[in-house]
Amino acid sequence: MTLVFRVILIVMSLLTTYYILKRIRQSKLQIEYAIFWILFAGVLIIFSLFPWLVTLFTRIVGMQLPVNFIFMFFIFVLLVKLFLMTIELSALENKVKDLTQELALEEKDRLDEQKEKIRGEELGDDL
Amino acid sequence: MSCLVIIPAYNEEENIVRVVENLKNNYPMYDYVVVNDGSSDDTARICRKKGYELLDLPVNLGLAGAFQTGLKYAYRKGYDYAIQFDADGQHRAEYIGPMLEKIEEGYDIVIGSRFVTEKKPHSMRMIGSRLIAVATRLTTGKKVKDPTSGMRMFNKKMIAEFALNLNYGPEPDTISYLLKQGATIAEVQVQMDERIAGESYLNITKSMMYMMRMLMSILFIQNFRKRREVKER
Repeated sequence: MTLVFRVILIVMSLLTTYYILKRIRQSKLQIEYAIFWILFAGVLIIFSLFPWLVTLFTRIVGMQLPVNFIFMFFIFVLLVKLFLMTIELSALENKVKDLTQELALEEKDRLDEQKEKIRGEELGDDL
Repeated sequence: MSCLVIIPAYNEEENIVRVVENLKNNYPMYDYVVVNDGSSDDTARICRKKGYELLDLPVNLGLAGAFQTGLKYAYRKGYDYAIQFDADGQHRAEYIGPMLEKIEEGYDIVIGSRFVTEKKPHSMRMIGSRLIAVATRLTTGKKVKDPTSGMRMFNKKMIAEFALNLNYGPEPDTISYLLKQGATIAEVQVQMDERIAGESYLNITKSMMYMMRMLMSILFIQNFRKRREVKER
């Protein structure tokens, strides 16, 4: 890995961390969601500071260039994250659906009860 | 002076009756509310049939969301104190009294702690507790002997703050953050029972993830947060 590439990785990681922490500071991001990005940035900084680590992994995987290992790492981690997010999104959509339906059903229940009551009163008047 | 006992319940059909009946019969001076966290079992139906005070969430929010619902209720009704109380029977109602006495001395949060006078055992389960205690000590300089205890009592100011803010889960990292921000926290010795029925949802992988999240949060993230004080109602 060239020095420039390493510097770029470090700067990118620091910017990510800064932005994530800023969102938490503004109470706009839940800590659970921040953990992944801060860990991700941390790993990239470690890779940039200790390039021999990357060289080692590159050799283990049997690749030619360390930079290729970095790319593979990026793609793999992001792919897993995307997959997990798809699952979360689906669960979330399901929850919103359940919630909306619940609201509509409750409202209908309430209206039905009201109607019943009015009808009951009318019947009472007729008698 | 009023105190609300908040009982978050997720799939606790086997325990909820015992816990609530005990509160109702032996401790009628405390108000309580069960927060059913979208259980898939009969928890909500049992509570409705028995006429318990119930907040029924239509979907599952997790402990933080369920407990916050209870705090929002306490906030709206203007309660002076609120306590988190497990639905599985681990917490004992006899200790609510001593905790109330302590919080009336002017503390923001009182933790029902297993290790004030008792010694912490050297078991696997307590490694996590120790790590979190050390992390809290490192960032705040203060000792919390039982940071993972789920039995916590909050005063009016904390009820408002927890009810209206993001990232205020009832977890050790929030405690550490509030300590750092100058909240006053006391611990009262309590005993806890093993859960009688049902299963704890914590397994090894989940525990590891939980620990990692807590340690990162306490050691790193919480240092960058800005506190937003909320006006009491």
